Parts: sequence; C-alpha cells; structure tokens
Amino acid sequence: MSTGAGAPAAGLAPTRGLPPRRGQATSRGGCLRSLDPVAKLVAPLPVMVALVFTRGTTVPLVFVGLALALLLAGGRLPARIALALVVATPVGVALLGFTLGLWVDPARVEESAAASVTLLELGDWRYSLGAYLLGLATSLRLAALLLLSLIVGLTTTGPELVRALVQHLRVPYRVGYTALAALRFVPRFGHELEIIRAAHRVRGSDRGHGPVAAARRSLSYAIPLLASAIRHAERVALAMDARAFGAHPTRTERTLSPWRPRDTAFVVVFWAASVAVFAWAIPSGLA
Amino acid sequence: MTTAPLLALDAVRIRHVGGERATPDGVTLDIRAGEVVLLLGPSGCGKSTLTLALDGLIPHAIAAELDGTVRVAGVDTRERSVAELSEHVAMVFQDPDAQIVTGSLLDEVAFGPENRLVPASEVLERAERALKLVGLWDRRDDDPDVLSGGGRQRLAIACALALAAPVLVLDEPTANLDPAGIDEVYAVLRELANDGEHAIVLVEHNLDAAVDLVDRVVVLDAAGRLVMDGPVREILQARALELLELGVWLPVSTLAAMRLREAGVPIEPLPLTPSELARALDAVEMLPAPTPEPARVAAPDDPPLGGAASEAGPASDGRGPSAITVRGCSVRRGGRRGPIVVDGIDLDVASGDFLAIVGTNGAGKTTLLQAIAGVIPAPRGSVDVLGMDPSRADARERSRRIGFVFQNPEHQFVAHTVADELALGLRVQGAADDDIEGEVDRMLRRFDLESHREQHPFLLSGGQKRRLSVGTALIAGAPVLALDEPTFGQDRARASELLAILRRLNAEGTTVLIVTHDLQLVADTATRVAVMQEGRLLGVGPTAEVLAGPLIEAAGLRHPPLARATRSLARHPDWHAVTRMSQLPLPDRTVA
Repeated sequence: MSTGAGAPAAGLAPTRGLPPRRGQATSRGGCLRSLDPVAKLVAPLPVMVALVFTRGTTVPLVFVGLALALLLAGGRLPARIALALVVATPVGVALLGFTLGLWVDPARVEESAAASVTLLELGDWRYSLGAYLLGLATSLRLAALLLLSLIVGLTTTGPELVRALVQHLRVPYRVGYTALAALRFVPRFGHELEIIRAAHRVRGSDRGHGPVAAARRSLSYAIPLLASAIRHAERVALAMDARAFGAHPTRTERTLSPWRPRDTAFVVVFWAASVAVFAWAIPSGLA
Repeated sequence: MTTAPLLALDAVRIRHVGGERATPDGVTLDIRAGEVVLLLGPSGCGKSTLTLALDGLIPHAIAAELDGTVRVAGVDTRERSVAELSEHVAMVFQDPDAQIVTGSLLDEVAFGPENRLVPASEVLERAERALKLVGLWDRRDDDPDVLSGGGRQRLAIACALALAAPVLVLDEPTANLDPAGIDEVYAVLRELANDGEHAIVLVEHNLDAAVDLVDRVVVLDAAGRLVMDGPVREILQARALELLELGVWLPVSTLAAMRLREAGVPIEPLPLTPSELARALDAVEMLPAPTPEPARVAAPDDPPLGGAASEAGPASDGRGPSAITVRGCSVRRGGRRGPIVVDGIDLDVASGDFLAIVGTNGAGKTTLLQAIAGVIPAPRGSVDVLGMDPSRADARERSRRIGFVFQNPEHQFVAHTVADELALGLRVQGAADDDIEGEVDRMLRRFDLESHREQHPFLLSGGQKRRLSVGTALIAGAPVLALDEPTFGQDRARASELLAILRRLNAEGTTVLIVTHDLQLVADTATRVAVMQEGRLLGVGPTAEVLAGPLIEAAGLRHPPLARATRSLARHPDWHAVTRMSQLPLPDRTVA
C-alpha cells in the first residue's frame, strides 16, 4: 500500500478535489441548479454590498429568510445539508450575536430604549438588550452574506462556475482552469500533511507544549510540505503544457452555458425584490 | 521522402541551467512510424531529459540549454511552440497524480484537444475512442481520484492518445504502480504497439514488463552519449555484458541465464522473458542441482557468506529469539468508525529476520508496519517490540528499539543540517554532547555522508536522502528497522544501493521489516515473507517456501520473473522452488 504519490491507502483515500459532477442531470434538478452560475452570482451581489451598510435586524433577517427559502425550495440540496442549514443558521446567529454583543461599547446603545433592559449582570458590568440586539444585527448580516453566497456555492460545481465565468464574464480561461487544477491539490496536501506529522512524531521532534513549540512544529511541517508542493506544481504545469494548455486565446467549450431568458428573469426578479425590501425598510427606519 | 522520420535528433546535447555537464551529450537518432523504442541508460545519463526535448518542453518550458536539433515532423522544435508540437508528440509522465487537472475522466481526456481548439464533436469522438482503448469508457463520469494507480496511468495514456499525435513518449510510466497496475498499463501499451499506428518512445527500468513489446533499444552511457542503437534482441542478447558494465539493468530472465552460463549451463541465445528462460532450461537435458538455501540470504552481487556459518534449510526453525510479537492486532483507519484495514493479525518476527510484507494495494501492509512501529496506535497489548508496547511508549523509548523509515525521506527531516538531523535522535535520548558528536561522526562515515555534514538535508541527492533517513532511524541504537516501500518510484541503481545497505545491516544483526511491491526484490533479499490480503495475514514463512507455494496467487499477486520461469519447467521438477538468484548454481570456480 503506497502512501505519497501512489494509490492511496485504504480508508486514507483523499477526499475528492471537486464535488462529483452533476453532468447532464443538471436541467432535471431544482430550478436553482438549472440557472446559469453567473446569474446566481450576480443576482445577490448588490444586496450583499448594500447589507454591509445596513443597521438593525430586520433587513438582514428578511434576506436570511429569502436565501434559505430559495435554497430549500430550489436547490435540491441533500437532506443532510438542508437540515444543517435550517438548524445551524438560527443557532449560529444567536450564539454569534451574543458573543458579538459582549464587545459592544455600552455608550453606543445608551440612547435606545432597549439599553435599559438588563439581560445579565455581573457586579458593575451589565449586558443589556441593546448590546445584544446590536450584536445580533451584525451576526444576522454575516449570516445573510453567507447564505446569499451559498445560493451559487451550493448549487454549482467548480467546473460549471469556471465555464460560466469564462463564457459570460470573459474571465481568462487560463486563470479559471488553473484555479480548478490547483483546487485538486488541496486534498493531496492534506493527506501529505498527515504523513509528515506522523513522520515527525516518530522522530520525537514534536515535543513541547505552548505556542512557541507549536509554531516551531508548524514551521518544520511547512518545509517538507512546501518542497513537495512546489515539485508537484511543476509537474502538473509541465503536464498541462504538454497538452497544449494556453496555446490559444480561447479553447473549445464542449458544454455551452447559454444565457437563457430565465437567467435574466431570475436576476431581474431578485433585484426587484431586493429594491422592494429596501424601499419598505428605509422609510420605516428599519435599515 | 515517403517515410520521413517522425522524430529526427541530431547531435542533441542538453545542459540544465546550473548543471555542470550536458546529459544527453550528442545523441543522433531517427524515430519512424510504428517503432517501439526503449531508451536505456544508467541513472543520471539524461534519459528523462531527452524525453522532455522530444515535445519541445526543453527548451520552451524548462530552463535548459539545447544544442543540436530536434526535428518533429521535419521542423526544428525551437521554431514551434509546445502546443503546436503536441499535435505530433504526446507525453505520459511518471506520476499519474501530477497529470490530472479536471474532475471527470471525460473532461480530462477532452482537455488536450479542447486546448487545441478541436471542434466539440470531434473532441467527443476522440475522447470516446481513447477511453474505450484503455478500457475506461464506462467510467467516463467518474472523478479520476477514485481510480487505482494503474487506472489513472491508463487515463494519462488516453489523454495522450486524444491529442492524436503519431508519437507517444512515456517516461517511467509504471514506476509508481503496483504489479496489477503495471500489468494494466502494459496491456494497453501492447495494444497500441500492435496497431502499428504510433511510434512509442519508452523510458522504463522495469525491463521484465517492457521487453516483449519493444522493437528497438537505444542505450546511453553514464556520460549521456549514445553507445548502442539497434533491434532489441541484437542489443540485449549480444551485448548483455557491455550493458551490465554500463550500469544498465537487464531483464531478470536474462540475468539468470547469464549466471547459469557461468555455471556451465549451455543457454543460447540469452532469454529475455520468463517463458523464454523456461523454454531454454527445458531444452537442456541435465541441469545442475540448485544451490541450497542458506538461512541468511546472500544477494547475487554480495560476497558469499561462507557455507559453514549458514543454518539449515528453509524448513528448519533455527531462528533467533523473538523480536516482535503481534497478537490479534486489528486497526481501523480514520478513527473508531473507520474501515478495518488490519484485521486480527498474529505475527512473529525473530531477531535477525529480514521480513518482507507483500500484498496488493489496500491489503493493509503499510498500516500493519506502522502499527508495529508505533506510528499509528494499535490496541493495547497487541504488539510487542522487544518488550515494549509501541503504542504506549514515548518517542525516546520507541526509537531505542525500532526505527521507521517513511516512503519519502523528506517527510522525516526536521533539522537544518545533516549532522543535526542525526544528532536529534540522540538528543531525544538525553545523550551527552561528546557522545552525540562521536556517534554522529560514526553514522556519517557509515552511510558515506561525511562530506555533507553541514548541508541542508533537502539539498542532498535522492540516494543520500535515503541513506540519511536510514541513519536517523538507527542512530538511537534500534535493533529493528522498518521501511515502508523504500524503493517506490526509484530507479534500479538507487534501489539496489539501498538494498545493499539493508543486506549489510541485516548481516550485522539488524532485524529488517519492509513493505514492498517488488517481488523479485523480495525473492532476492528477504529471509521471510508475510502475505496479506484485505487486512488479513494469509500466511508467513521462509521466502522460498512462500514463493513456491500458492499464497502469492491467492493474494492476487504475480510471481516474480524467475519463479514464473522455474514453475513451468517440465523437465526439471527439482527446480520448481528456485525463485531467487542465489539459488542458481554457482559458477565453476576453476579460476578462483
């Protein structure tokens, strides 16, 4: 059983570099999967920018709900991931909100009515509802950003995204396909790091506790890992050269990702809905 | 002008930037359609470098100085880009992992033609043809990562074929594969050679696998000069001795026949494959009796160890005291719920044994070795190494009893100089500075690393790195040495250098355990063999017995070349158990 470059050991098989291809099955899937990746990328982008400037909890909450609803209704997600989204989103938001609230300067929330409601008190220090709400707003904004980016992230494979970026946004294919090739390095390096750590443990060089020893250890893992990474990258580059990568300004696209009316429709409807949310929220002082 | 050569090399000299001398140095040769050319030469002669010049990677992609001319389809490679040349010459490299760039087999095969702007319908046609030829069409939607090593290398061949180039260049395509993978790749290459459409240029150290599909052999000497070029039989049979002197490895069957000739057995011409050797032996009326097995095995190129000291034959159990005891050892990979990869193993290793653990990929060999050496934890009490439970002992205690050498020596290096690397093992033991100094000097001398004392371990040559890793494993005084695939991906010269070291250590009393795929290596060096399959131990016994018995085939392995030849002998049943070179009759020592 070979480690390193050969066929991986049983049970140690590196996880796949890319999600399995959905191939021709794409159009059968949920409506999100059949949309062009660029549409799924462009539609939420303005909202994501706008969210950074919002205050309060309402607007991010609406978008968290919207993104979740889209993903669950149209994403055809595996049950495990769908469940994780439904459970982890509220729990994560609540916990992160509480933690962020701890760091809120009490002076900032003094004005609001919620500041007078005390949730926790420890001696002089008090944790007010106002602080919690401010923390919650931040964590909701982060959750909304994450979920909006998952609209494309969870319903698109790497190759699909690269193809769409190359075809519609004129991203140079050299950049896109090199990135895809590089993505395949990740599980390989993870596997190699495991071996290096075992090797150093055997040498007895991993002794010592505390941050200094840990830093020294990481450095000693980095040298063999880097040496092998550079060698591997050189070999991959030669193999790609030998197969005419980068020979022409374009390359044959076997799978065309045509921009369909429904892609435009998705973007327009998404933007319209977003504008509507802000149009309602800003005058009401909720943003 | 009808049969213009596909490749024409004229006085090709290549010097890598920073290199001292040019290897290859002045190579002139033509390669025509339908030829299968094997490129041979001792390590460092520039074989691989030469292959990189055939499709223009040198001088276009690699910093090297190219003198002379390489013409592909009549055009100087300097005047064409690598991409243009890929229409004429396709490459397959050694490491299958380093050639995969996409997420499915179909995308992978389409990658080259797509880069060349071949129309989509033709890309698909080519991909289908290439994948069908290597037997992977049914798996076209799979991720290449789920293929075996042999499967991935077949995929690399399909990718080369999809470029529709008339020349296929393969640089050590099977060096990283297990025996099953090697067979797969050669089955595909044989088919390509038979259809006669491609010219194939092959660099390969595993001559036993390659020799029967090759038409022509080109040999470089250590300085990179072309010294022989001719039909395979003319070169390998008529000039075998010259090749050995050059440091070129020959097929095992040829080596065996040369030895038999020395012993007075008339074999003419020299056989190249096991079946030819078998035929030649069966043609001889009387064969001298095989040399009886000494207990400690001497390799063909080692000085004989003196018959008086050798113990009795393979059946006797006159072995030393027990060094390693494994009882009911089961190991899961990846935690409590991971798959069982080592399943209820019982194994005894006596002090002074040279044990080889063999099996197909995934049989659990490496895991067992790692459990024995304490690299991964084994159940409490299931492993005992000289009175220590390796999973419970600390690094200091462990390194006094057993040294573990990883497949890639670089993984184990932690210090910035060779001397520090060696000293580390002693510092862990808490040795005094003076003692450390003396012991490090001794190890440097022993492994021929004295002149590299202050060098960074990563800057050593491959062979030096390997020697240093063995030195670091032994410096704390471990009487047991465990090595995981120590010859994987190495050329013959480096592999035999390491084996010479291991044999010497074993002769001096070190107990050696190795995991390996190379069964001829096992036959020639190990005293005992443990055969594993699917996590279980099928059996363990003296090498000759195991190789003569049914275990090898039961484990899905193939017998090494010499055993394949002797097992089929009709006339000489007493030769059926001959599996190692040392069993061949000794030469008549009329001179010595």
